[in-house]
Amino acid sequence: MKTAYIVGGYRTAVGKSSRGLFKFTRPDDLAADVVKHLMKDFPNLDPERIDDVIVGNATPEAEQGLNIGRMISLMGLNTEKVPGMTVNRYCSSGIQTIALAVNQIKAGAADCIIAGGVETMSPIPFGGWRIVPNSNVSKKHPDWYWGMGLTAEAVAEEFNISRQEQDEFAYNSHMKALNAIEHGLFKDDIVPIKVNEVFLDENEKRQERNYVADTDEGPRKGTSIEALSRLRPVFKNGGSVTAGNSSQTSDGAAFVMVMSEEMVKELNVKPIARLIEYKVVGLAPRIMGVGPLYAIPETLKKAGLKQNDLEQIELNEAFASQSVAILKGLDLNPSVVNVNGGAIALGHPLGCTGAKLTVQLLNEMKRRKQKIGAVTMCVGTGQGACGIFELLN
Amino acid sequence: MKRNIKNVAVLGSGVMGSAIACHFANVGLNVLLLDIVPKDAVQSDKAKERNKIVNDALTKALKSKPSPIYKKSFAKRIRTGNMSDDMHLISSCDWIIEVVVERLDIKKIVFDNVEKYRKEGTLITSNTSGIPIHTMLESRSEDFQQHFFGTHFFNPPRYLKLLEIIPTPKTKPEVIDFMMDFGATILGKTMVLCKDTPAFIANRVGVYAIQDLFHTVQKMNLSVGEVDKLTGPIMGRPKSATFRTCDVVGLDTLVHVANGLKDNCPNDERKAVFQIPEFVTKMLENGWLGSKTGQGFYKKTKDENGKKQILQLDLSSFEYVQSSKVNFSTLAIAKQEDNLTKRTKILFGGKDAAGEFYRQVFSGIFSYVSHRIPEISDEIYKIDDALKAGFGWELGPFETWDTIGFEKALSVMEKLELKPSDWVYEIISNGIKSFYIVEDGVRKFYNLSSKKYERIPGTETSISLSSLKDSNTVWSNEDTHIIDLGDGILNVEFHTKMNTIGGGVLQGINKAIDIAEQNNNYKGVVISNEGENFSAGANVGMIFMMAVEQEWDELDFAVRAFQNTTMRLRYSSVPVVAAPHGLTLGGGCEICLHADKVIAHAETYMGLVEFGVGLIPGGGGTKEFALRLSDQLNNGDMRINLFREKFLTIGQAKVSTSGHEAFELGYLRDGIDEVITSRSNQIAFAKESCLKLAEKGYVQQAKRKDIKVLGKEGLGIVYVGADSMRSGNYMSDHDLVISEKLGEVLCGGDLSQITEVSEQYLLDIERKAFVELCSEKKTLERIQSLLQKGKILRN
Repeated sequence: MKTAYIVGGYRTAVGKSSRGLFKFTRPDDLAADVVKHLMKDFPNLDPERIDDVIVGNATPEAEQGLNIGRMISLMGLNTEKVPGMTVNRYCSSGIQTIALAVNQIKAGAADCIIAGGVETMSPIPFGGWRIVPNSNVSKKHPDWYWGMGLTAEAVAEEFNISRQEQDEFAYNSHMKALNAIEHGLFKDDIVPIKVNEVFLDENEKRQERNYVADTDEGPRKGTSIEALSRLRPVFKNGGSVTAGNSSQTSDGAAFVMVMSEEMVKELNVKPIARLIEYKVVGLAPRIMGVGPLYAIPETLKKAGLKQNDLEQIELNEAFASQSVAILKGLDLNPSVVNVNGGAIALGHPLGCTGAKLTVQLLNEMKRRKQKIGAVTMCVGTGQGACGIFELLN
Repeated sequence: MKRNIKNVAVLGSGVMGSAIACHFANVGLNVLLLDIVPKDAVQSDKAKERNKIVNDALTKALKSKPSPIYKKSFAKRIRTGNMSDDMHLISSCDWIIEVVVERLDIKKIVFDNVEKYRKEGTLITSNTSGIPIHTMLESRSEDFQQHFFGTHFFNPPRYLKLLEIIPTPKTKPEVIDFMMDFGATILGKTMVLCKDTPAFIANRVGVYAIQDLFHTVQKMNLSVGEVDKLTGPIMGRPKSATFRTCDVVGLDTLVHVANGLKDNCPNDERKAVFQIPEFVTKMLENGWLGSKTGQGFYKKTKDENGKKQILQLDLSSFEYVQSSKVNFSTLAIAKQEDNLTKRTKILFGGKDAAGEFYRQVFSGIFSYVSHRIPEISDEIYKIDDALKAGFGWELGPFETWDTIGFEKALSVMEKLELKPSDWVYEIISNGIKSFYIVEDGVRKFYNLSSKKYERIPGTETSISLSSLKDSNTVWSNEDTHIIDLGDGILNVEFHTKMNTIGGGVLQGINKAIDIAEQNNNYKGVVISNEGENFSAGANVGMIFMMAVEQEWDELDFAVRAFQNTTMRLRYSSVPVVAAPHGLTLGGGCEICLHADKVIAHAETYMGLVEFGVGLIPGGGGTKEFALRLSDQLNNGDMRINLFREKFLTIGQAKVSTSGHEAFELGYLRDGIDEVITSRSNQIAFAKESCLKLAEKGYVQQAKRKDIKVLGKEGLGIVYVGADSMRSGNYMSDHDLVISEKLGEVLCGGDLSQITEVSEQYLLDIERKAFVELCSEKKTLERIQSLLQKGKILRN
């Protein structure tokens, strides 16, 4: 079997959906800009030698439809010869694509693949424009189709996660994220994106506004535990999950370049990391939030590693309730989890998240001179995913 | 040149200014709302800072409840600005209304400013309640004076119908004529032309009435709660009665008006009544002004168990105490009587302390208003109109007097030393026995100057069912009257309790259509009434009885009769126009859904609310929503989303907060149904619309067989949606059962593909679901709760 390396990767800043940085930016444009930026790091790479562009996306319809993966390969690579595909495993799509690329290369079917994900939740409603559940299944198992908020409530209830624990977790996420931004810790991750807005002023005259988006806008400076504790539950009457202790809906894109050992040598590229193991597990859809509770141990086992070997973990904060349930359930050391904050503060652009967290993890591991780290998340309809990376010197 | 109003400037954005601006926006006018620049923003060049006062005021008004605006999007018709930067914009306005603080010096400054920009000929009015209008004329230009008068709105201006117009000697008559018509037709107001006397008409008499009760309460040693029980709906006055009204209005405001009257009416024979009683002074000192300070005559608190309770002020101990049960035999007897006219007689003739109270109170008012003629009005009807429209009285003082009996009241008044003015004796000597009469279907008032009964000005084009009833009834039963409106149009009027719909009403509707179909003299049918509400829905008592007796066939038959009647509204050979107002719920809504056309009053609160009693609409309402959904769909639409909207409208029992909002909820149809602001013109307009449909050439509609239902495609979202609401604790197990039934009817059942079905197919499954729900214990508990406690039970 061949060896595959991650040799580069970037993400956009994450914008708030519908009112944020990228509310005027289409997902294909956003993703293509990241791909173009990524290509600049490989001046010796002829784009036509890229075997595939694999794009994760959780709502592949409307602006994100028409096989957006292929559109991104056309728009981002300045050639018609590189194919592209779209992959959907909801919130782990962005890391699923990396695993697919790695496996392709390991199997000898490819030498160079751009993999990642994009999601702009601004133009498309959660779940898509036309939700048509199977009526027979709906009658028997309505919870297979539950909204994610209800599953977060179910986790809070079944795993005894209090409102206070959730609010404290959310508060810490914001504080860590604000600290990271203040110290420029995401500078190496982020591709500055030029945004152009055309609008009519009050006299109906055409106007343009241009700005560069390069900073995550989710973290709230003024927040406090008191403020968070005042919010009303939004998914369940008398529940504990609020807008404040849930992840934010967001817009963003992230991609990495995966190369075979042969090509790395030929082009004289410095490898950054390798994916040791990636695994997805299934569980009851109504408590999908605790997917990592099973995904992490199983992936560790497959990789022949112990939980203590994980020096850093990016655990996607879909909801504070499920994040806390995992921290407590696996007895994870909180100081190695989401060291720069998570999705509650920074946002969760569904199909992009897996790739975005990978980029963040690798840069932070480099800064901390660590070797082994993981990206893990819960996935809708009862799944959990985990990828374990080794940082190379 | 023809005067036209499209653009209005409102100067001053306080509680009244903002609410008036909203009502102008309600009726489609473009509004410019201006206020001053805040002191700390005088140096600023940012519009946001300079317009802070007006923007904050408008935002607050829009959030207030009940809402001042018919429909949220109407607020876009209001442009805000400030009087320093934007005053020039008033040059393009057709009417400028000043609503600034009640100080003559400040009003003068505003008017100086207005004169700089106001185009000649533009209407300019002041919305004052206390300052004499003529005092504002000083140093104004000739053109200003000719177009200037008082326009006194009552708070809240959307809901209180009174608009007093106060001309000055300088005002051009053409300007007043215009405004009387504009206010009635466009603003939907009861217009009362006043003299420039202190507090004009409504407040002069209304505040007298309250002050009189302040004194009576002590004299007769009554409690706050007792007076409110005695002076509320039982005597045809609002629920808030006397003291609760004071709390809502604010005691300071009331005392301000009363003091003004005391100072400015030296010749008022009852001016002593305007003396502020000691307990009121004490309340003012304590800052107990009412709702705005958290306590007044009443105080909301929580008991030791955390349960909300309302305490009342004990006027002697000055402590807030539990309200005790009010026991008067007169009240108990009067409560049995629904008809206000008959009830008033019972009250006035009561043998206990309550009877004494009513004789005292009524006599006082009768005497007082008689002495106000000609001081505040030359005609009696203006005083009645003002009190009805401004204070929510069901009958005005002179009307009440007529009810009791002209001479009977007089003898009591004399006994109580509350003699009326001399003119009353004069007209008695002329053989006059009542202030109003109905002659040939027209209601007339006694005109004191012409000494004749005359039609009330402004009512020439409106239709009054109560006046027509004696002369024009074609058919009637216990629950309905079919009245000939003239020109070949019949009107079905319901008059059951809350105008609920049972067998009698259905019979009346069918009878009206029968008559119109079979008789060459008739061309169409209008369904309208003059009750407080159009209809609170079907008579659930009847449904309950049949369900308890498990008479399923009878129940099925009764529901079928309802369905057949609503279907007949649409599929008859004559046009049927419904004219709803106020509450139009359940079965009442279903009647409107099936009319050829609906002329809804702006204040129509429409909804299919059957969910609350554990049912789904069974009189064709669910069927009609499936039909409207089908008609709404175009190729390529995301039908599931439109389906969900219709499902939720019934599933959440949504009720429109105005006629305009009923379009958004799908109860009214764009391009067919219409909304009218003027309640007094509504029936006449409905009749006109019906006549037009008939004269255009009305052809009985063909039955529909092309209603596309979603079948299984829609069912999934029904089950998931209902389960999610249940799992999220937003509804009960029984709600889940009803939701699924509703969804199944709307989807046309579990069909494998989108299918075209007939109306009858949908009616049959709707009826089946309805009857099945009636067999559920929890549905019966819900109905029972509504019948016995008047409360919606969520079990």
